[in-house]
Amino acid sequence: MMLQHLFKLIWNKKKTHMLLIVEIWASFMVLFGLATLIVVNVGNYREPLGFSYERVWAIGLNTNQDTTELADKVQRIVQRLNTYPEVESVSRMSSNFPFSANQMNNGIEYNKRHVLADHYVTDENFAKTLEMPVVAGKWYRHTDSVGKYWPIVINQKAKEGLFGDENALGKVVGERLKVVGVVDNFKAKGEFMSNKPAYFELVNAKDSWNNTMLIRVKPGTDAVFEAKVVKDIATMVKGWSVEVDYQTDSRKNQHNLVLVPVIIASIISGFLLINVSLGLFGVLNLSIAKRRGEIGLRRAIGATGSGIASQFIGEIWVLATLAMLIGLLFAAQFPILNVFDLQAGVYITAILIAIAVIYGIVTLCALFPSRQAALIQPAVALHEE
Amino acid sequence: MIHLQNIEKVYRTSTIETLALNNINLNIRKGEFVSIMGPSGCGKSTLLNVMGLLDEPSKGTVEIDGQAVTQYRDKELAQLRNQKIGFIFQSFHLINDLSVLDNVEIPLLYRSANGRPRQEYAKDALMKVGLSNRMKHFPKQLSGGQKQRVAIARAIVGNPDIILADEPTGNLDSAMGNEIMNILQQLNNDGATIVMVTHDEQMAKRTHRLVRLFDGTQVL
Repeated sequence: MMLQHLFKLIWNKKKTHMLLIVEIWASFMVLFGLATLIVVNVGNYREPLGFSYERVWAIGLNTNQDTTELADKVQRIVQRLNTYPEVESVSRMSSNFPFSANQMNNGIEYNKRHVLADHYVTDENFAKTLEMPVVAGKWYRHTDSVGKYWPIVINQKAKEGLFGDENALGKVVGERLKVVGVVDNFKAKGEFMSNKPAYFELVNAKDSWNNTMLIRVKPGTDAVFEAKVVKDIATMVKGWSVEVDYQTDSRKNQHNLVLVPVIIASIISGFLLINVSLGLFGVLNLSIAKRRGEIGLRRAIGATGSGIASQFIGEIWVLATLAMLIGLLFAAQFPILNVFDLQAGVYITAILIAIAVIYGIVTLCALFPSRQAALIQPAVALHEE
Repeated sequence: MIHLQNIEKVYRTSTIETLALNNINLNIRKGEFVSIMGPSGCGKSTLLNVMGLLDEPSKGTVEIDGQAVTQYRDKELAQLRNQKIGFIFQSFHLINDLSVLDNVEIPLLYRSANGRPRQEYAKDALMKVGLSNRMKHFPKQLSGGQKQRVAIARAIVGNPDIILADEPTGNLDSAMGNEIMNILQQLNNDGATIVMVTHDEQMAKRTHRLVRLFDGTQVL
């Protein structure tokens, strides 16, 4: 009953409240955007990375002007790296190594099911070097490349996209790629990356490209060993450049690429919300000052002090509800039109967060003014006009 | 109906103390129509506020319908005001953003009355003051006399035993004032106990009893 009364009161003053409604609506939309960003990233973060990066270094080799016997030279470097006692495992792969800025993807198809998947070219030691568990089948070996098929390992996402519930092992993707194993997640850009379809193809030993070496070193291995490796490789292959990236550092860089924009957006939104809150607080204070007569009257005809406080909080809740209903019309378009190819649950969670924060803010803004209203002496207020 | 005993009201600030009511003893019987007169600032409105439980006396006791209310808490006082007392003010105190009907319904909202009966009671009250054709209007569309009639409808919608009117004709011309006075007399004839503050001797003469105040003291 009182709610209906408050709706009527707000509705009859809708022109006066229009700016306030627009302000709350805009805040809701900003919060919805920010919450979506945060929900997506938190959701991604909660998904396992799928591999281990500690003590893994990526050694990038650039052949520069050298064009002779490149494949042999790369093979020799792999062999050399394997001889160091500090190295537990070595794997050769394409330039899109974990946490790098490079990306390669390909469309792959099975029975008219098409999946756009990240494409990695690696050798047989990749899973071992990154301590990636194989959940079905096995990681490929050179011996798997015999015949007309070339071995690949796919991740769970690619398996779901291509084969659904079917067994993927032994299936031929496209014309020549045969699935020999399935790994769970592989989020090469770090924890904040979405878990996308990916497939790993065996590197051809005769390739002169795919020159990144991933090495897992023993605990305690430091920069002295890094310098030694760089020096040794430089001696082996004159004119080549060698660059070593620690995977832990690269991961931090990738995280920063995600976190910095989120933090900046949060700070800007925070300032916006503080401004809106101060505005709301001021408007409510003013409104209460202008409505002292009404407050006195309501007290005279049966309202308690706490009833007056509840009324003012109720009014701002009604206003916020109207503003958010308009906001919902906009926000609902995102899951309906599948704007950023995100799950509807992400948008729904973001909407719920935005609603909760808006109600929280308006309640906080209304708390002090409404308490002041509750303290107004009816006898005094009724004789001020 | 209303019993005031040794009522004293003192307003204190950090620098001065003002005695607004001094040793007021007043007994208003059920069905009486009493007017309170006195010069400006003599404590008429303060006395009405004390009777209407809008202000606490500094000393003395207030009894409404046999109940001493001195120890009542905010919730109980609000309930008593809502159920026993109807207020009419000189400046009407209508809510401009609500229609006439909605304004009249407000006291019933604090009784948690349901929508349909609430509307019916409000319509009945408006009918009694002759404003059933203005229900959808807003206060700004009404004359002063009509506004006061809405305020009377709001005061009587909950069927209170007591009506407290603070200069109800003070903002109206004599014709309108007479009209309002007629309505109040009719309500009194129907059984309501009315206490009215007024500056107008003619209006006061139409009531059963006159109480005069001077400098916060009852002189008649």
